[in-house]
Amino acid sequence: MTDILRIKDLKVEFVLPHMRVKAVENVSFRIGAQETVALVGESGSGKSTISQAIMGLLPKTAQITKGSIIFADPKKPGTRVDLAMLDRSGAEMRAIRGGRISMIFQEPMSSLSPLHTIGDQICEAVRLHRKVGRAEAKELAVEMLTLIGFPHPKRALKTYPFELSGGLRQRAMIAMAMVCRPALLVADEPTTALDVTIQAQILRLIKDVQKELQMSVLLITHDLGVVANMADRMVVVYDGRVVESGKTDDVFINPGHAYTQSLLAAVPHFDMGPDERLRPLREIKPKTGSLLAESSQQESARETSDVPPSLALHPAMASEPVLSVRHLSKSFTTRKGNWIKSEQHLIPAVADVSLTVNRGECVGLVGESGCGKTTLSKLIMRAMDPDEGSILFRGESGQMTELTGLDEDQLNPYRKRIQFVFQDPFGSLNPRMTVQDIITEPMLIHGVGDAEYRKNMVLELMDLVGLDPRFLSRYPHSFSGGQRQRIGIARALSLKPDLLIFDEPTSALDVSVQAQILNLLKDLQRDLNLTYLFISHNLAVVDYIADRIAVMCAGRIVESAPREQLFRNPLHPYTQALLNAVPFADLEHLLDFDKIVDGKASDPARWPAPFTINDTSAPKMMQFAEDHFVRAERADFTEIAI
Amino acid sequence: MLTFLARRLFVMVPTLILISVLVFVIIQLPPGDFLSTYLNELQAQGEAVDPAKIEFLKRQYGLDQPIYVQYAEWAWGLLHGDLGFSFEYNLPVSDVVGDRLWLSMVLNFSTVIFIYIVSFPIGIYSATRQYSWGDYGFTLLGFLGLAMPNFLFALILLYYANVVFGTSIGGLMDPEFINQGWSFAKIMSVAEHLWAPVVVIGTSGTASMIRRLRANLLDELGKQYVVTAHAKGLSPTKVLFKYPLRMALNPFIADIGNILPQVVSGSVLVSVVMSLPTTGPMLLAALQSQDMYLAGSFLMFLALLTVVGMFISDVLLAWLDPRIRLQGGVSK
Repeated sequence: MTDILRIKDLKVEFVLPHMRVKAVENVSFRIGAQETVALVGESGSGKSTISQAIMGLLPKTAQITKGSIIFADPKKPGTRVDLAMLDRSGAEMRAIRGGRISMIFQEPMSSLSPLHTIGDQICEAVRLHRKVGRAEAKELAVEMLTLIGFPHPKRALKTYPFELSGGLRQRAMIAMAMVCRPALLVADEPTTALDVTIQAQILRLIKDVQKELQMSVLLITHDLGVVANMADRMVVVYDGRVVESGKTDDVFINPGHAYTQSLLAAVPHFDMGPDERLRPLREIKPKTGSLLAESSQQESARETSDVPPSLALHPAMASEPVLSVRHLSKSFTTRKGNWIKSEQHLIPAVADVSLTVNRGECVGLVGESGCGKTTLSKLIMRAMDPDEGSILFRGESGQMTELTGLDEDQLNPYRKRIQFVFQDPFGSLNPRMTVQDIITEPMLIHGVGDAEYRKNMVLELMDLVGLDPRFLSRYPHSFSGGQRQRIGIARALSLKPDLLIFDEPTSALDVSVQAQILNLLKDLQRDLNLTYLFISHNLAVVDYIADRIAVMCAGRIVESAPREQLFRNPLHPYTQALLNAVPFADLEHLLDFDKIVDGKASDPARWPAPFTINDTSAPKMMQFAEDHFVRAERADFTEIAI
Repeated sequence: MLTFLARRLFVMVPTLILISVLVFVIIQLPPGDFLSTYLNELQAQGEAVDPAKIEFLKRQYGLDQPIYVQYAEWAWGLLHGDLGFSFEYNLPVSDVVGDRLWLSMVLNFSTVIFIYIVSFPIGIYSATRQYSWGDYGFTLLGFLGLAMPNFLFALILLYYANVVFGTSIGGLMDPEFINQGWSFAKIMSVAEHLWAPVVVIGTSGTASMIRRLRANLLDELGKQYVVTAHAKGLSPTKVLFKYPLRMALNPFIADIGNILPQVVSGSVLVSVVMSLPTTGPMLLAALQSQDMYLAGSFLMFLALLTVVGMFISDVLLAWLDPRIRLQGGVSK
């Protein structure tokens, strides 16, 4: 038997005082030597419970009531241990845990203790499982940190986790898990919390280290793109049961189970046709009512009996800009030193950003965390004041109005026209308000309509986002993440805004729910002629929904182009790096791990010549083709264009 | 770290100056001064008062000076260790206070140590065995301790201490040692009397500390880094002591600054009931009779304790938590 781990008929139950809840049932799969097996499923499918059962880390209330987890340590040939039978905190289990089977977790922020140095935490793991002295443990830790690609391994021993970036923290975590050279690594969503370029680096790292240490990997993830690039075999879990398992190639090419098929169909991928749609598990059919279809111009037209008819039918107006941002900049100051002698540092969060959003179009804004995309959205909302630049917005009058410099009262009519949908569906709805109150609130604040109108509007909005109007008296906690996000969308639409800003609206959701929301947004845009600014770190999502895409890095927009053009012909090195780093759920477009370079991609000073941004050169946006702009110096740029 | 210490110490100076001004103002707030209170008392007893004598007393005590001059003299004296003069006792304040200050300190520090020693293990036990019989039992005891009036508990303890151990009622030592020099027997007598007030004053503090430690630790126990530590293969006890407990310590230490003055002021009532020779009852009397320098010295002493307590907790926090130590200087 070359299998390292064999799980058979595993059943885990949560034993609560008044009931037993099945978390996982009838789960069987195996992990071969030096093999990578991916455990795929959406949140709540039980994949984490399986990993906890293997590690003996199940919560106190959970019990393994049936089945076995046989671990055959390649270091001790012939021995087989049933992990399901061991005492979870007994000496035997503890020797295996961390020593022979290690685990890395999703959150690099919270999974390391903030009070202990990296060195302390790694050496602790070494000394637990190997009989070595303090100095030797340190050497082993340095050796492992070097292997993991830490820039200064010796110095890293003395740093605290909060002094490191997310990517480095995850590296430290991996070093800690690897330092005892385990036979099996359990990686629970190891890259979900990381940016794409960092994700690609970490994935490459896991692959490299796996080869170097000859170990097996159990990769737990919801991201089929990661699976396609990493796994030899995959196991699909749904509702605590294995619905399909097999070689990754086979499952991707010929998925047998309906759930696997729908999971694959729900992932947005590049080169989708313009009319191709994602297929979520459950489609929402939006129903447009009369109140929403009536545009604000029509409304005012009705009131003043003035000329312009329906807006959607007027081709000349369809392409007019709704929002035009010009050379917008915003810096934050950090203070260092004491209050007698302090140094002020200006950190540019948004620098020289220009962006236009036309009526009826969806502009995607892509960038990694910390690139300033959320700050930009806050500036547009005027939740913050910009240092420089202008924000022109087409208000009710049909004229472009400068928003910067307006005070609160003057801004009020424009607040109504720009609405926002937030990333976190849990934090963005007040838990003490009913759905009815949540959706009505914006209309109350701006004094829109009478009680009768508001009531009808709420009913119509509920229909629109595919929620049962009977839910109106419920509170947010009784809804799932996807449903909450739909409530958030309904709230944003209640004022019939001219511009909707979405800040990562689907990043907290499962793929099938994400597909549902994305389709809903597309349908709404088509039916109501809405205008979107869609902010996301996920290129595939932006590619699916946006007409034009702007790529942002270090506070600047580095490239903007219509969607097909950007993906077919990315010019800026950062865009290229970003595109290279996205793992697609497509076996024909695997990541080229050789092209992934560590940490250089998002540093403007290290971009090659025509693109370099540093103290001496600050290139401006240059037109390359119609609607395709790149931030580069003109002189060199023409050469590249040829 | 050194600059942090220096800065922290430097900040204490203006704080103390501000407090001394406040203290002085508060003492002066009630109408009249010690002399007018004294005169009222004499007149109430039907005694005639010679106006010339009053003038003489006023001048002698400096009460005819403007308030800021009085403050300046008092503050200048404080800086030189001169606590001023008690009108009521006709003695320098330092003589009046005498042993009381030291006895209060002994009492209060014993109480703080009692609180920490008792609440720590119980808090850890309660958190790690949440919802067990033991946890419920300690919770019940804790609420009893919080709910019971201190003076009642003091009386009960005094009674039993006398009946069971034969300890003399009241005071911090047997009557024969009062006004005697310090000797081993006297120390033993103090120790014998000390435990009852310590328990009485300490119960509510202990109870709330247990609740706080339990809540903190429960929060930390569910955190991801604890799972990581378990995943390394550490034994459960080691995990507990190295990771979550150290994190849970933070609010515990931050509390030192609060607990010191709380204990001191909380002990006044108990000291009256148990007639302890501590500063509490004397402060009360001094405030009633507007014996300003005596009251002022006590209040300054309390303030000093608070400020020093805060300083100690800040230094300890910086020493224990690298996030405070290394990120302290950076702010947005």
